[in-house]
Amino acid sequence: MSYKIPMGPYHPALEEPYKLDMICDGETVCDAKLHIGFNFRGIEHLAETRNYVQVIALMERVCGICSFIHTLTLCQAMEKLTGQTPPPRAQYIRTIMCELERLHSHVLWAGIASKLMGFKTMFMTCFEIREKVMDVLQAISGNRVNYSMNRIGGVNRDIEDPPAVLAMVEALEKEMADKIIPIFTTSATARSRCAGIGVLSHEKAVSCGVVGPNARASGVAQDLRRAAPYAAYKEMEFAVQAQQEGDVRARLLVRALEIMESCKILRQAIAKLPPGEIHTGDPKLVFTPGTATSRVEAPRGEVMYSVTWKENSRNPARVHVRTPTYVNMPAVRWMVLGARLADTPLIQASIDPCYSCTDR
Amino acid sequence: MIPLDIIREKLSVEAPWIESGGVHWLDPAPANVRDVAAVMNACRARFVTITAYQLPASEGIHLEYHWDLDGRLLGFPFQLAGNTIDSIFDLCEAADWIEREVHEEYAIDFRGREYEPLLLRDGDTAGVNLREEVR
Repeated sequence: MSYKIPMGPYHPALEEPYKLDMICDGETVCDAKLHIGFNFRGIEHLAETRNYVQVIALMERVCGICSFIHTLTLCQAMEKLTGQTPPPRAQYIRTIMCELERLHSHVLWAGIASKLMGFKTMFMTCFEIREKVMDVLQAISGNRVNYSMNRIGGVNRDIEDPPAVLAMVEALEKEMADKIIPIFTTSATARSRCAGIGVLSHEKAVSCGVVGPNARASGVAQDLRRAAPYAAYKEMEFAVQAQQEGDVRARLLVRALEIMESCKILRQAIAKLPPGEIHTGDPKLVFTPGTATSRVEAPRGEVMYSVTWKENSRNPARVHVRTPTYVNMPAVRWMVLGARLADTPLIQASIDPCYSCTDR
Repeated sequence: MIPLDIIREKLSVEAPWIESGGVHWLDPAPANVRDVAAVMNACRARFVTITAYQLPASEGIHLEYHWDLDGRLLGFPFQLAGNTIDSIFDLCEAADWIEREVHEEYAIDFRGREYEPLLLRDGDTAGVNLREEVR
């Protein structure tokens, strides 16, 4: 006999609301339906009521983890409309901030995944590392979450102590290489909880349009930092990490290996950080009427902004935000099919969902 | 990397690709949105999103469909005469949520599909968020 199990809107793994209605046969999930919208804030409508300075602060609040990425994507689109080109130092600072945010996001996720696997000690270790990344972000920007770093034509703050970033990178790389990656790859518990669980096939990943580490874990090796470089990524050497299995373990491995690549990028960016201005300093911005689009590889995958401006307006006519979880989440339905009910919290968490982003 | 002109030929479009604002644009007329979706599937392009705009002074709704092809963002604009356009959900699974969202935001009807609430709740008025004459 099949029966329906509603999971949510209070999520068993993450402190954000969404609902998964699962049809189960015994312990096995036969079908599932997702419900979102519990956090819907109408941010795209609000954006139309803000001027070009206020809209940056507003869009920084689309996501708590990727706040820098959202303002970067928005500013890149507005720079196309205003003809501003950020100076090289600003592009490098943006790259450094993007990678710090990726580290912070991936390590946070590794902690949550560890907790769901029953690895409380690993959870503590991950959060201790994350704290070091947060300290660096705070030292650079003065803030731990909404950094207020981006502006049209550059960034608001310089990186005054690059060696401090390097010291954190060294410590984090060591922890990852010595402790976290070996445990994730060799521990019997991690293997039994993750290997072969929540599989998203390559074909489904393509047809669902899944992005970021979730796509790369299913063999779709696209990364906008390489495929459509922005900021200073053209000058960085790094490998696009991909796995073929498409299970929770593959998603875990891709993120763990991406942490190592982020450290590599941070080292290069700090070493090559050019001198000079950090923004164009243009006091009066003139917007060309029309639409500009920008895409950035956020920790969870591609973020896209379409920004439209009307003539002589201080406010955008339209800001459309396409977040990575918005396209990743529908794939959860396919990941939980055939899974054991007890595995579904970990499977849902394995896409590193952000409901705040999704609902906007 | 697939040359973009192959897409033009498959759609029998004479207008050229125009790169603007970070997007390669192609006016797909006389092809319709389902023709575009079929060609994009054949090229193994990744569906990205649909962006809707309400044009001023009752000029209607403008929809922009985006696909990613090897890191290039492709855009296909469609001007709606009324409030309806064909759904591509059956051709492109990834378009499900965004079609539902555009339906809720702008009260656009995507022909050939049914809707369940996405961001709004049951009984909320479609168009209440971004459609000027409704909100």
